[in-house]
Amino acid sequence: MTDQGLAIAWRGAWRLPLPSSRRGQILVAIRGAALLTLLVIVATTPGFFTAVSLFSLLNTTSFIGCVAVGMTFITLSGNIMSFALSATLSTSGMVFMAALPLGLPAALLAAFAYGAALTGFQGAVIGYFRANPIIVSMAALALITGGATLITQGHGIYPEGNAAAALKGRVLGVPMPLAAFIVTAVAAQIVLSFTRFGRQLYMVGSNWRAALAAGLEPARVVLGAYAAAGLCTALAGILMAARYSSGDLEIGLGFDYSAISAVLVGGTAISGGEGSAIRSLIGAFIIAVCQVLLLLHGFSTQIQYLAIGLIVLFVIMLQTLADTE
Amino acid sequence: MTADNSARLAEPGAAPVEPGALRTDGAGASIVGVRQIYKSFGPIAALKDISLDIGPGEIRGICGENGAGKSTLVKILTGVYRPDHGTVLINGVPASLTTPRQAQEHGLAIVAQELSLCPDLSVEDNIWLGSLRVPFLHKRPHLRRRAAETLALLGASHIRLEAPVATLAMGERQLVEIARLMTRDARVLILDEPTATLTDVEIERIFSALVAVKREGRSVLYITHRLAEVYEICDQVTVLRNGELVATSPLNKLSRAALIEQMLGRPSGEMYPEETRARGAPALVVEGLSLPGSVDNFAMNVCRGEILCIAGQIGSGAAEIVAALAGLVHDASGRVTVNGRQLKLGSPTRAARRGIMFVSGDRAAEGVFRRLSVLQNLVATRLREYSILGFLRNRALGAVAGRLAKRVGVDRRRLRARAEDLSGGNQQKLAFGRSIERRNAGVLLMNEPTRGIDVGARAEIYRLMRSFCEDGYALVMASSDLEEIVGLGDVVITLYRGRTVGLYRRSEVSMHRIVADITHPAAAAT
Repeated sequence: MTDQGLAIAWRGAWRLPLPSSRRGQILVAIRGAALLTLLVIVATTPGFFTAVSLFSLLNTTSFIGCVAVGMTFITLSGNIMSFALSATLSTSGMVFMAALPLGLPAALLAAFAYGAALTGFQGAVIGYFRANPIIVSMAALALITGGATLITQGHGIYPEGNAAAALKGRVLGVPMPLAAFIVTAVAAQIVLSFTRFGRQLYMVGSNWRAALAAGLEPARVVLGAYAAAGLCTALAGILMAARYSSGDLEIGLGFDYSAISAVLVGGTAISGGEGSAIRSLIGAFIIAVCQVLLLLHGFSTQIQYLAIGLIVLFVIMLQTLADTE
Repeated sequence: MTADNSARLAEPGAAPVEPGALRTDGAGASIVGVRQIYKSFGPIAALKDISLDIGPGEIRGICGENGAGKSTLVKILTGVYRPDHGTVLINGVPASLTTPRQAQEHGLAIVAQELSLCPDLSVEDNIWLGSLRVPFLHKRPHLRRRAAETLALLGASHIRLEAPVATLAMGERQLVEIARLMTRDARVLILDEPTATLTDVEIERIFSALVAVKREGRSVLYITHRLAEVYEICDQVTVLRNGELVATSPLNKLSRAALIEQMLGRPSGEMYPEETRARGAPALVVEGLSLPGSVDNFAMNVCRGEILCIAGQIGSGAAEIVAALAGLVHDASGRVTVNGRQLKLGSPTRAARRGIMFVSGDRAAEGVFRRLSVLQNLVATRLREYSILGFLRNRALGAVAGRLAKRVGVDRRRLRARAEDLSGGNQQKLAFGRSIERRNAGVLLMNEPTRGIDVGARAEIYRLMRSFCEDGYALVMASSDLEEIVGLGDVVITLYRGRTVGLYRRSEVSMHRIVADITHPAAAAT
């Protein structure tokens, strides 16, 4: 009897059931219907799977996706988003390129350490001083952009040799960026679901005061979340730099917004404490699919931006409805 | 059950009424009534077949445990929810209340728990803000006189019209809110747990204001957990249980025990458990605790197996002392020893390592993780014990959560439910569950542990607290609930404006002594 009870308790103990309220259920239904509509449109659009653009888009999506996975940590921790990740992406690509003459491993290490330390520092300011995360990230954006321009005099970094060629290939037939994105999302999900840090991240994001009162160290957890975001972003920076064989301040432009779009479309709560990395992966793909569809149906890039703006707005409205029960 | 039935018959509104039929008997004229109201949320029926009438000049108490349907009923009367079935009658005429605005136009006004006043504006401006009676070119002296008259009627003429609301105490703000609703001709005032954050003196003021409202021929719907208040202020009380109307009874014919029985559906039994027999060594010794601006030179000594109550009204510093011991106050100073070891204040993590756990009365703000599951809430503080190299042993954690749920009396089938879907009492049990069964029994700090928790769950929480004493915990509780202090405290320390007034052992505790201590300035001066 007891064992049986425990077994029932354990099975799906970490899964949450359907929302109990009617409104919650309606919202789930709306999401399902939206996804179904998308699939129907995909199925009825001729040439979707053969489109050349699909593959070029997949690369961009993968870079954005890595940042989105990183952003997921920040959003889950209850700090909404960071505007500094795009600049972190491009500058860690520059660090990578600058360190490449020292060898690939050293360059990788330098870029990852740079990304984690830079973003982790913002996390420390936000965690220990309870500073407004949006303002801190904007200040960081200005500092990073300013600092990088000062050091490079506005020039890109073009290293000699071909040491980064290994990062341009394919892994088991999958393009490197896509492989890296999927591996990052899965690894992040393992951290979130199966580690102490991950569990504490959900607690801090759900209720900072309760986490503090329970004797956890929320500031430290926030620092960790930002450091993780820095690592994911640095990975995207490295891969992009390798792809374009240069480090440039411009390469990550606009990725913050694309990343938070993916996070939100995936269904991670903007208020923190609820969501997952896999959701962000799905969100990134949904946005990519929408872009391909718009492209195939002959809409311009401007219309695509417009459409994604509308989707994000729609998602935020759904979330707010779910929260204000 | 016979008692229930006879009480039900005594209530005219509960008699079977044909759908659509209107009551026209003049004697029990009803200002507002509901007929056969049903309301469900998904599979859960929140209200089933509720019919009641409130007469002019009546103060009607609505009692029931959490989840009995009180708030749903209020929301239907204020136009926030629409009933699935049934009608709302205003003066005996069916009315459609589909928006809060419509409800207001019908004279149904709620005195909000989170007051809807603008803190920076003056009392007068707040009273008239948004009122349709203020013409574009208004005659200020006239409005001023009306506002002053209304405040005087409520016995609140000491409140200055030009004072900014931010400078008023909570109770005064409620009076202003009531005045505001009176000036816009509210005929039924609805108060939902109005006294939760008020001191006794303020509560008295609110009560005399409500009596003034009643004398004006207006009615009051008074929703509360505190049975003493029902007897003090209400004419009749309607008890809801599991969404059904149990009975409406005049209070002069209803004993307190009978009222509790109606609410619980069973006799209340012993509310407060026996005191713990075994007492141990001092677990927590506090000397010279000072918190700038709130507490001065506080000292206490708690033994294992003992419940110490710090009794004080809001603002007395009782809650602040508990928060400081939990490490939540930065500028606290004083010597604290836990199980013989010195503790430096100011960090909840340090306190937790020494075995001091904090259970807050403010569950939403610092108690539970509302969006996380019951399971995750229960194991929140013991992840370190159940992880290897940072990876969680989820299976072991599931087993621990199952055991803890059983220990604190939460249904194990609800382990995967969200904490926010649980009742207040069950949420509080989660906070207890996460604090107990540490490697060595330490100190449990509590701040108003039963705030907003209904009678039935309360008794259960008290029993739990005693069982923690049996396990060797020392319990420290800040409370402003006199009944609870007298019923539960092995040692009671009374506090007035940050200073200790008296210390009583269980045998010496009496309610009037505590009341005198925590409300009487003269006692604190000595």
